[in-house]
Amino acid sequence: MTDLRTAGPAEAPKAVRGSRDSRFSRVLIITGSAILMLVAAAALGAPLVSSWGATEIDPASTLAAPGGSHLLGTDSNGMDIWSRVLYAARLDLGIAVAAVALAVVAGTLLGLVAGYRGGWLDDVLMRAVDILQAFPTFILALAVAALLGNGTVNLIITIAVVNAPAYARLVRAEVRTQRELPFVDAAVTSGASTVGILWRHLLPNSLTPVRVIAPLNCGWAMLTLAGLSFLGLGVSIPTAEWGAMISLGAADVVGGRWWTSVPPGLALFVSVLGFSLLGEGLQERANAKRR
Amino acid sequence: MLSIENLSVLIHRPDRQVAALSDVTFAVRPGEVVGLVGESGGGKSMVARAVVGLLPGGAHTSGRVLFDGADVLRMDEAALAAHRGRGAAICFQNPRGALSPTRTVGRQLVDRLVTHQAMSAARARDAARELFEAVGIRSPQRRLDAYPHELSGGMAQRVMISLATGCAPGLLIADEPTTGLDVTLTREILRQFRRAADADGRSVLLISHDLASIAEVCDRVVVLYAGTVVESGPAEQVFREPAHPYTRALLRSVPDVGGRPVVATPGGMPLLTRVPENCPFVTRCAYADATCATRRPPTEPRTDPSGDWSVACFHPQAGAIGGAEAPSPVTLAGDRGAAETKPAVLEIDDAHVVYRSRFGSGGHHALRGVSLRLAAGETLGVVGESGCGKSTLAKLIMGLVAPTSGSVTVAGQSLVKQPGRPRPRGRELRRLRTRAQLVFQDPIGSLSPRRTVADSIAEPLRAAGLAATERAARVAAVLDRMELDRAILGRYPHELSGGQAQRVGIARALVGEPDLIVFDEPTSALDVTVQAQILAVIADVTADTDRASVFISHDLATVRGFADRVAVLYLGRVVEEGPVDVVFDDPRHPYTRALLASAPRLGGTPAPDGAAVQLVKDLEEADATAGCPLAARCPFVTETCRSQPQHLQSYGASRAACWRVPELTALIGKQATTP
Repeated sequence: MTDLRTAGPAEAPKAVRGSRDSRFSRVLIITGSAILMLVAAAALGAPLVSSWGATEIDPASTLAAPGGSHLLGTDSNGMDIWSRVLYAARLDLGIAVAAVALAVVAGTLLGLVAGYRGGWLDDVLMRAVDILQAFPTFILALAVAALLGNGTVNLIITIAVVNAPAYARLVRAEVRTQRELPFVDAAVTSGASTVGILWRHLLPNSLTPVRVIAPLNCGWAMLTLAGLSFLGLGVSIPTAEWGAMISLGAADVVGGRWWTSVPPGLALFVSVLGFSLLGEGLQERANAKRR
Repeated sequence: MLSIENLSVLIHRPDRQVAALSDVTFAVRPGEVVGLVGESGGGKSMVARAVVGLLPGGAHTSGRVLFDGADVLRMDEAALAAHRGRGAAICFQNPRGALSPTRTVGRQLVDRLVTHQAMSAARARDAARELFEAVGIRSPQRRLDAYPHELSGGMAQRVMISLATGCAPGLLIADEPTTGLDVTLTREILRQFRRAADADGRSVLLISHDLASIAEVCDRVVVLYAGTVVESGPAEQVFREPAHPYTRALLRSVPDVGGRPVVATPGGMPLLTRVPENCPFVTRCAYADATCATRRPPTEPRTDPSGDWSVACFHPQAGAIGGAEAPSPVTLAGDRGAAETKPAVLEIDDAHVVYRSRFGSGGHHALRGVSLRLAAGETLGVVGESGCGKSTLAKLIMGLVAPTSGSVTVAGQSLVKQPGRPRPRGRELRRLRTRAQLVFQDPIGSLSPRRTVADSIAEPLRAAGLAATERAARVAAVLDRMELDRAILGRYPHELSGGQAQRVGIARALVGEPDLIVFDEPTSALDVTVQAQILAVIADVTADTDRASVFISHDLATVRGFADRVAVLYLGRVVEEGPVDVVFDDPRHPYTRALLASAPRLGGTPAPDGAAVQLVKDLEEADATAGCPLAARCPFVTETCRSQPQHLQSYGASRAACWRVPELTALIGKQATTP
């Protein structure tokens, strides 16, 4: 046994799991962000790259095929599809992001208070959240829209109300585990006020899942918005909005004029994909960190 | 049996490379218990992983791990599976985590026997019962049907051992099997490994950070530092006369119940990126010279009767570790006993704490009538095994739990709602809370993960309403006292080492100049040499005369270092209380005697009055509502003990809650002669 002391050849390096995951997540995050930046650039630069207004009617050509002075053709009202798809990005992106931001703020506050206080307040708040979540999304949106009426601000509120319960639950669960940890006791014995504990200690430590879910949620919010508009519960008709455009063009598609509905549909698809990739990437990265 | 030859493990990660093991060579023979000792990061667990072929991804190995002549590093999956099942078995550090929570422990053991030993189910159940009996589980038939959560930590570790030995492996590896267990249990569990070696001729590889506690059961020990073997040899000799400076530092970092002073070794273990060219211990070694810095010392045998002792050091030391070697003993020289006349900083009067169970009636009676009084300048040590109510006592003092009855005041004020006392509210309460500060067991967990160190330390100053510039100045001052670099202020808790985090925790406790600091097991989560450094810091802090300190620990030896008085807690009651030297050198209560007897000692410090009290093992959570709490485990129990509550009575300078104290010395003598 003694003369066998030669060092064996080094094994080929095995794939390292952690690094592959983190590289994968980076690709996802970069791709997602790039897509979203492109969409945002299109939204902001709409006047520069399109020659028609969002609701400008070209009476000379209705339902014109793509080409000529209308890059992607016109719809049944003679409005330029390319311009409308670009301008619509402003509304779609804006409403989705604003709605999710509102949902995050409201849901986080609810979850924070319910999770920290516990007891009857927790019970009351969480049962209210239960009731909200028990409604199918569109029924709830219908009810809110019917109650508040149409309009951009109301749409934001509607979509926020639909999404806030998820954040309330996430944050509450996170706070409930966090508040049992020693650093909260340390804050209490250091004389921190309740608001101080919530704001400076529990809030920053409970936001990790929210950061991961929020971008994904923006994608869903866009779909909800498009769905509401498609059903006629969203923006009013001439306004450029992808869901409304798809709805408007639906009848023409059947007649073979695909350019009325397909471009806004593609725009919607690409934007939601951007948010999804970004969200997935963030999730992967959070998972990789946890290991 | 097991022979590791020149094993090196390099781990490649995208951002760094770690030399986890460098040229590790040692062997474990059949029937032998070998201890693998060192601090975390030293490579102990990496050795265990290599032996069972579970190295992490990205690991490059060289050298050989021979098990019964076959090289584990070159086995294919099928050979590895057989090797792990019948060749080498591992007991993990956290036994409850390693047991499947939804199946009874009997079922888990039986399944394993049926799979690996090809037994019939009925025979496997019989065999399982016998295995449980062999590891000292009482009423094994009943325990077979228990779920892991129904077992205590010690019981779960026994189940783990029976699972590991069940398939009759040639080699049993135990990775820190007694971490988190009480002193009395630690002894029991370690003896199980000794038995496995003696009775069945198995090899046992016992991994531990604590050389003193495992030395007794090991035949040989191997000391690892930064992935290199620095010393290996017969356990008794290495323990008594360690030759390598690191082994000596390791042993001297551990406080001893005999009162031997702790000597802290500065610095920390280096993280090697490649096989070292020099002695890895060079930066922390008092004997290092130019040779040590440039060349790696070869492993050379020592002149020793067994011829089995080798050291990798240019300047091996000889002789036992004595007090003479200690340049700065960490003992507290204040005037003890003069505190009685000063006003009390902390007063607890007959406090009971009952945790109500959430569903229905009942609950857990954590503290049963504790009375303590502490004046400024005094340090009280509180010792006891897990579950004795130590942590509840800390929370009670800090006002984190309210007493169910009785009272607790800090500086004469009440921090929680309690009957018959006004409690300040709002800002006044917040300011008052900062008068008592807690240093936590989990140093990193006690810091808010997304707050910088500067923020965390300044927290108590916010309550006092100080301006930001004033806060920064105070933080800087306390940082200097903790010997921390300013650069640490901008860091987050996960970027700190355990020792740094605990210094930050102590800095936070100190910054508001409180009247009372409670240390709740502040070193139990730290590495051995770091422990010694933190203990030195704490000794310095508790020496301040304008403040009172409570030091809570399950480790008797750490308390002895700097407490003036000590209280021994058992099942929520104080069973003995008195000046620290009196209690440690002349214990009265049978429980204190048993605790002191189980504590590992370095050579040269004899146990008090010879024969030790052996408690009946495996306490079955006896909930003694009447009578002495120790009645179920005490060897000297009588009817009187069972029926009559025991109160603290004075015996000399200390007080003990046992009426048989005067007869005990005679009784213990009798126990020793008739085992």
